[in-house]
Amino acid sequence: MADIIVNDRLASLLSQCGLGNRKAFAELYDSTKSKLFAVSLRIVRERHIAEEVLQDSFVNIWNNAAKYAAAKSAPMTWMTAIVRNRSLDIVRRPMVEVADEDDYFALNMEDATPGPADQLAAGRDRVKIERCMKGLDGEQLQTISLAFFHGLSHSEVADHLGRPLGTVKTHIRRGLQKLKGCLES
Amino acid sequence: MKLASPELRDRLASEFVLGTLRGPARRRFQEYLKRDAALRADVARWEAHLTPLADHLPEVDPPARVWSRIEAQLDRSGGTKSAAATTGFWGSIGFWRTLGLGASGLAAVLLFSMLTVKPVPLDQEPVLTAVLAEDNNDARIYIEQPKSNLLTVKMVKPWKANGGIAHELWVIPKDGAPRSLGVISGTSDTTINVAGLDARLANGALFAVSLEPPGGSTSGAPTGKVVCKGSIAWMPPKTARPNSQI
Repeated sequence: MADIIVNDRLASLLSQCGLGNRKAFAELYDSTKSKLFAVSLRIVRERHIAEEVLQDSFVNIWNNAAKYAAAKSAPMTWMTAIVRNRSLDIVRRPMVEVADEDDYFALNMEDATPGPADQLAAGRDRVKIERCMKGLDGEQLQTISLAFFHGLSHSEVADHLGRPLGTVKTHIRRGLQKLKGCLES
Repeated sequence: MKLASPELRDRLASEFVLGTLRGPARRRFQEYLKRDAALRADVARWEAHLTPLADHLPEVDPPARVWSRIEAQLDRSGGTKSAAATTGFWGSIGFWRTLGLGASGLAAVLLFSMLTVKPVPLDQEPVLTAVLAEDNNDARIYIEQPKSNLLTVKMVKPWKANGGIAHELWVIPKDGAPRSLGVISGTSDTTINVAGLDARLANGALFAVSLEPPGGSTSGAPTGKVVCKGSIAWMPPKTARPNSQI
């Protein structure tokens, strides 16, 4: 229920932003900044670039808030996609160290105390993708997690795992196909 | 790039959202998106599928200056909607591109930000994080360094209380012997003061927890079974590293 209430609140704030309400925009920023900053930081890795991404993304969110309703997606999904796209558009960095255990952890966190992040989530969607992710085999889960959480490209994933590029591409492609089958079943 | 086959369209949409579609292929795909509503629908569906995964990421507070800059930027445009807003959601890509952020303009923006950015003080943000898991990949411990002088060891899955056995935390450098960070609780969270221990953390690649006699290993090296381990993610970076980006 909390998920639904928070999502309604965010959707309402977005529509007020669409009407030019700066106060609603400030509340929207405060409610989502830490989550969205974390999303960008994971991908771009450099704090000052993640700050730029967050700034650009929120200006973009403000400018496009009136069009949010037409997107027909959950507010956090819509905003997260803007931040991820912006991050992926500008990311250009040398290979960095990543810990894949980190993501394994992320997928095994359900026992943890629900924090603000969980309350922001569209719970049903999250449960579904988690269930489907768990249906992937180890290599598929690992490659897709590295790409999603850390913004690694095919070749970066290949470097990180010490696997041939073609193998990584195959794992990702087959993993995504499997996810699709599960998610849309 | 031919986008005739539905399978190919869907695959590209999925890789666009996942983030593995990069460089020229990503930009070409974005051009297609602007004029292909069905493709936008494919992307929206994948976004709805995959983005909820991001809900799990531990939150990180951005510094207050970000909000100041956003407000300043809106104030400069009079607080009204810019012309770019009229092109809709996917017009947002065009919006970014017209700002020059897709190509050489990006370099200018980043360069400017690098020239003006101050290195981030160590005490403001996490320095490292690590998840320690058992061999079967079950996470047991989450370690974070919220400040330069503090390590927090949080139990994801505590061990059953066992009075006779100590859990000792080790940091293992890329090439070198394990260094002890002391005995931790196996049943609840532990905070470790790392003042003066930075040398021990230097070049740390892994954390591991071993079972030891009460009080910990007396030999200076792990003696018992390693019950969980995990690689250290040094993130976010300790300081801004301007040279690494362009």
